[in-house]
Amino acid sequence: MDDDIQVMRDQFLNQEFDEVKLEIDGTRFAEYAKACGELDQKFTDPNHEDFQAPPTFVATLVGRRNLPQDFPQLNGVGMDAGKAVEWLAPIRDNMTLTGKSHLHDIYTKTGRSGRMVFLVTRMELYSEDGTHVANADTRTVIRERPSG
Amino acid sequence: MADQIEKIDEVEFGVELPAFDPDTSLENVRRFGKYVGWGGGRFTDHDAARKEGFPGAIIPGVMSQGFLGAMIHRWAPTAQIKIIDTIFRAPVLVDQPHTITGVVTNIEEDLKQVEIDITITNEANETRVQGTATIELPA
Repeated sequence: MDDDIQVMRDQFLNQEFDEVKLEIDGTRFAEYAKACGELDQKFTDPNHEDFQAPPTFVATLVGRRNLPQDFPQLNGVGMDAGKAVEWLAPIRDNMTLTGKSHLHDIYTKTGRSGRMVFLVTRMELYSEDGTHVANADTRTVIRERPSG
Repeated sequence: MADQIEKIDEVEFGVELPAFDPDTSLENVRRFGKYVGWGGGRFTDHDAARKEGFPGAIIPGVMSQGFLGAMIHRWAPTAQIKIIDTIFRAPVLVDQPHTITGVVTNIEEDLKQVEIDITITNEANETRVQGTATIELPA
């Protein structure tokens, strides 16, 4: 582990830096489901008795910020490298979720063009009764510019 | 292998899921942008995307991930997706045909769980998105 990365890990990992309330709109997730090609009416039909969001829908829920306010500026351009979702319980129309974000992982890979820093931001989502319903991870990669 | 499965004992190691051709049309992406978000020019306007350096408008990553979920549900309507991890390797271009393929890489009968590797490729057979999913199926 590079020293600068270890310093960032020690300072920022698992420290909550954002909390938002998210109102879940069934029309929005039904349209998401249809656009993505879902056929099951429990995802597309608001009148279905088990109407719920497709598990991947939580990746569309965003907080106010993706990194801690005091996170250091890295020397490179950030790109969306991937998303991961962990489903724990159904998300339904008119629910109000609380999204709590923290940095879940920081790691590097080194290729021919230099070092790439990966930042994994996790939003934990809770229902009004405190049930943990999902985790949504955003993986950002920063390809560092050569210094000097 | 049937086009659809319902229970874990119907799943075979190494089997390929039925391929799925997602709707990458500009009309569909604009609809996604209207109702879900990601309605910016790079997603909904080829000329605007080219001005940003892309070959054309691109599919939002969250939509590509949704395609993967839909593919799994089309094959296994009774499945509960527990985890789905997606790596965006290169842009998925709007109005370009793409194919999603999947293969079963592990079966945990005791946990009623199946692991699947999923890939979105373009017409040149270049990988654009890779995913791994863990699903749970009824016994």
